[in-house]
Amino acid sequence: MDVLLDHLNKKGVLLFDGSMGTQLMLRGLNQGEIPDIWNIKKPNVVQEIFKNYFAAGSDLVQTATFRANPIALKSKNYENLIEKINKSSASLLKGICPEGKLIVGDIGPSGIFFPPVGEANFDELVSSFKQQAKVLAPYIDAFHLETFSDIQEMKAAIEGVKKITNKPIIASMTYNKKSRGFFTIMGDTLKNNITELTEAKISVIGANCTLGSTDFIELFKDMRTINDTLPMSVKPNAGQPILQNGKLVYKQSPEEFSKDMNAILNLNNGLLIIGGCCGTSPDHIKLLRQIINQRISG
Amino acid sequence: MAKSVVDLEMEKALDLAQKALDDNLHLLEVIEKGFGEGIKRVGDLWDEGEFFLPELMRGAQIMQAAVDLLQPHLEAQQSVRETRGKVLMATIEGDIHSIGKTIVSTMLRANGFEVVDLGADVKVETIISEAKKHQVNVIGISALLTTTMIGQKKVIDALEKHGIRNNFKVMLGGAPVTQSWVDECKADGYAENAVSAVKLTKKLCS
Repeated sequence: MDVLLDHLNKKGVLLFDGSMGTQLMLRGLNQGEIPDIWNIKKPNVVQEIFKNYFAAGSDLVQTATFRANPIALKSKNYENLIEKINKSSASLLKGICPEGKLIVGDIGPSGIFFPPVGEANFDELVSSFKQQAKVLAPYIDAFHLETFSDIQEMKAAIEGVKKITNKPIIASMTYNKKSRGFFTIMGDTLKNNITELTEAKISVIGANCTLGSTDFIELFKDMRTINDTLPMSVKPNAGQPILQNGKLVYKQSPEEFSKDMNAILNLNNGLLIIGGCCGTSPDHIKLLRQIINQRISG
Repeated sequence: MAKSVVDLEMEKALDLAQKALDDNLHLLEVIEKGFGEGIKRVGDLWDEGEFFLPELMRGAQIMQAAVDLLQPHLEAQQSVRETRGKVLMATIEGDIHSIGKTIVSTMLRANGFEVVDLGADVKVETIISEAKKHQVNVIGISALLTTTMIGQKKVIDALEKHGIRNNFKVMLGGAPVTQSWVDECKADGYAENAVSAVKLTKKLCS
C-alpha cells in the first residue's frame, strides 16, 4: 500500500518541510561539520527543528540523513556511524511525529561520479544506498532521494531502496537552467529523467535545490508538460546565499518565496508536494501552509 | 586533431599524436594549434550549453593523453611548452566535494597550466604552506556547501595575516559562490564552471 499516495489523493497538495542544514547553521553548526553528525551529537537540536516544521504545518518531514550513506560518510571516516546516525535521526523524528503526518527518510547522493568524471561503479552505489535504506526503512513512511544530478546514480539509489522495501519513493533531481532548457550538470534532460523515473516505478517525480523559487516556476511548468502520470514534488532554494555580518544568509523572504510557490500551485493540475530546500525555514513553511489552506477554503 | 578532441575520440587523438611524432611535425604547434584548438572548442560547447560534465571531462582527458604522449619528445625538438602559470587547487576544509575542483584542475592542465592539486577537505594552513612551497601564481579554492564557503574567506584572511596576500591571486569556485561573496572576501575573482575558471586563470596570470 502506498501511504504517500493515499495522503496525496486525500489532500491533493501535501506540504513538505524546509531546509535542515540552514537551520543547523543558525544553531551553531560549524564550517565543515557534517550536519548528519548532529543526529547523535546534538539530537535535541535536530528534534527541535523537526518539531518546528510539523508545528509550521508540514504534512511530511524528512530525516536529517542527506549524507548518511556509507560512501559519503567514508569520505569523513564516519562510515562506522552509518547505523547510529540513520537510526537516531529516524527515531528522533518518529518520537515527535504527530498523528496523521508522515515521516520521510532522506537520502542524498554519494558524492562520487561515474566515468569519465569519476570512478564510481553502479553495484558499489546500489550497495551503499541499500545499507542506508535498510537502517531507515523500519521507521519511515516514504523515501526522498534528493539532489541527484546523475540519473544513473538516482537509478542506483532506487534499486538500493527497492532491494529493502516497497515503501514509496519521491525521486528528486537537481537542475541548472541553460539557454536550451533545464539540465543536470551531467547533461541529463528533463524528458530523459522523467522517462527513466517513470519506468523505475517510483511514486513521485521531484526536483529540488540549486535553483531558487522563481526559476522553479518555469521548471515546474516544463516538468508538468512532460510528466502527466505521476504526482510531483518541488523543493526550491530561497534564492542564493549572501554574506551578512560574517554569516551566510538567504535573503529571500517567506513572502517572496510563497509568491513563487503560489504561482506553481496555479500551474498545478495534479497531485503535488511542495516544500523548500536551502535557506528555507519554518517561517517559509508556515506561510505556505496558509496559502494552501486559503486555496482549499477559497 | 582538434576534431578528435571535440568528437571525444581518444583512440583517434592518440593515433594522430603518434602520426605527428612519426612525421616529425612541429610538436609545440601540434599541441597548441591542433589539440589545443580542440579543447578550446570543447570549452565553447560547454558555454553554449551543448556539452556537460562528462563531455568536458572526457575532452580534457583526451587532450591530456595527447600532451602526455608528445611532451617527452618536445625536448628533442628543442622546444618547451611554456607553462601559462602555476595554480594550487584545493577544496576547503570540511568539504568533501572534490569533483568540481578536479574538473577545474583537469581543464587547467589541458590548457597548459601547471597544477598542484591538494584534493578535498584541505586545512587553511596547508593551503598557505603549499602555496608558499610551490610558489604558485594562483590559489583556487572550492567550496560546494554554504556551511564551508566561509573557509574561503579564512584563506584570504590568513594570507593577509601572514603579510603575503599580494604574492598570490586567489580565485573562488563552487555552487554557492557569487560575485558579492568574492567582494566580501576580497578575492580576485570567481568562476562558475571549469571553462570560465580557465579564462579567469589566464586573466589572473597575464
